[in-house]
Amino acid sequence: MSDCVKNRHAVLSLLLLGPFLLAVLVPFLWMALGMFKTNAEFFQPMAKAFFPANYDWQNVAELLEGRSVPFWAVFGNSLIVSLGQALGAVALSAAAGYAFARFSFSGKRVLFVLAVALILVPRQLFAVPLFSWVNALGLSDSLLGVMLPGVVSGLGVIYFTQVFRQIPGEYYQAARICGATELCVFWAVLPLAWPALLSYGMIHFILAWHEHLIPMLVLTSEAKQTLPLALAKLYDVSQRTPQGVQMAASTFAVIPTAVLFALCHRKFKSSLSEMLVH
Amino acid sequence: MAAAEQRIPGARWTPFFFLLPFLFFLLLFWVIPLVGGVKMSLQANGLGQEEYVGLTHYKALANDERYFTALRNSLVYTLASVVVIVPLALWLAYLLRATFRRLRPVLTFALLLPALTPPSVLALLFLMLFHGKNGLLNQLFVMPLGIEPVNWLKDPDFILTGLVLQTVWRWTGFMTFFILAGMEGIPRVYYEAARLATGSRWQHFWHVTLPQLRPVLLFVAVYLVVDGFSLFSGAFVLLGGSGGTANAGLLTVTYVFQKTRFFEYGSASAISISLLPLMVLALWGSLFLRRRTA
Repeated sequence: MSDCVKNRHAVLSLLLLGPFLLAVLVPFLWMALGMFKTNAEFFQPMAKAFFPANYDWQNVAELLEGRSVPFWAVFGNSLIVSLGQALGAVALSAAAGYAFARFSFSGKRVLFVLAVALILVPRQLFAVPLFSWVNALGLSDSLLGVMLPGVVSGLGVIYFTQVFRQIPGEYYQAARICGATELCVFWAVLPLAWPALLSYGMIHFILAWHEHLIPMLVLTSEAKQTLPLALAKLYDVSQRTPQGVQMAASTFAVIPTAVLFALCHRKFKSSLSEMLVH
Repeated sequence: MAAAEQRIPGARWTPFFFLLPFLFFLLLFWVIPLVGGVKMSLQANGLGQEEYVGLTHYKALANDERYFTALRNSLVYTLASVVVIVPLALWLAYLLRATFRRLRPVLTFALLLPALTPPSVLALLFLMLFHGKNGLLNQLFVMPLGIEPVNWLKDPDFILTGLVLQTVWRWTGFMTFFILAGMEGIPRVYYEAARLATGSRWQHFWHVTLPQLRPVLLFVAVYLVVDGFSLFSGAFVLLGGSGGTANAGLLTVTYVFQKTRFFEYGSASAISISLLPLMVLALWGSLFLRRRTA
């Protein structure tokens, strides 16, 4: 293919992508700009008042001062829960995946199918018995009660099984010849899998950051709430929160996951490319 | 790479040492709640009720119109999202690969921004886009075509469409990312071989790219099906926990939630358990497809 044809093709593709990019970016831009608007401005037809008349930080200040919800506490809770869940899920899934990839043992097939089944049964459907069990464990209204149930991940186990299968057998042998115990072999090959560890941690962090139903059932006191709960409360019409404050909170809720993804984007993609096709 | 898989003599318990933490939490937070759910579904409604009522709740479900509405809506919603998202994401991934290499990461990131956004925020954005006459969707797409503006969230004919649009908007970019990663993993050799055999772009796509992408597409489809059945936040914010006008947007999780609001824990669990055969079917289907593609 000549360069000219190739360039023409690239431009055409970009043009075709255009409407989709707009469909995604316009609502986000509108959301971010919304935090500077007054209520009157906000409810004007979108096309007329897309940009605010003046950039007023009052709504942001109101949110951060915690007049509607204790924003910093809520943000912190979400960070703790999501980080804890991500770390726990990575540790458990990596160890289990390692066992599935490296050893053959009786019951392996059954356990693996069980792990696949985990992906397919949405946790949300079993929210009620889970909630009463968490209560019975004495974890109601505590962040641990939200965090711990989230560390079991079927997707993670399958992902890491695939990852450890791709590490050439020589690595394991080399480590064993040096007389390492199994745990040390695991430690030794772990650095080889670090893009996968990072990628999976990121995905799980994002999922945990979005979780709504389980925290809603488990967390009852206001100081323990996570972001999705606080957002739902801000959006509630009966609270009469100014629209600008709602938009500010929404924008802040997107920032952590967006930054995380932007940072891990490249590693994640190459680790997926290696794995998905083979 | 079977080389990594080997039996190490005298260390039978070693794999279980690695599996133990996972199995422990699996038992604690999956198996026990699941068994608890089965038990709850056989008990009377109400907080702390332990009276055994047998299959009463299941029998009630068989005559529950709302249950079947929810089931049907969830199925339609899930299937529609797979049918729309997978081809669209394939096409977008193809376009991203064809466009300028330098722009690719930025464009991909922009497209998958909705997947990084909490569903409740997405629902809020959607609420505004769908909002009555002044919503962006009506102003940009519906009214210019000379059609009456659609009352997206009130008209029972459009509520489910609205929910599907929301999920398309949410996941398409993310799935595009996965497919793109899959495409980049296809060894160049395949394309060079295909080029020697000539053939059009379309033929390359059909005979080289698509078969290689099968595992990715399977993953994407399974992910969407599971997500379809666990959708809560999106519908919760859009419809306020109700099923919308005439229950046109009532999904299974929403229905479970409605039941728990009135402490009808027995009925709620029965609904959840009744969906298990469906999930087992999906599991069997995906394992079957996996084996066929392997």
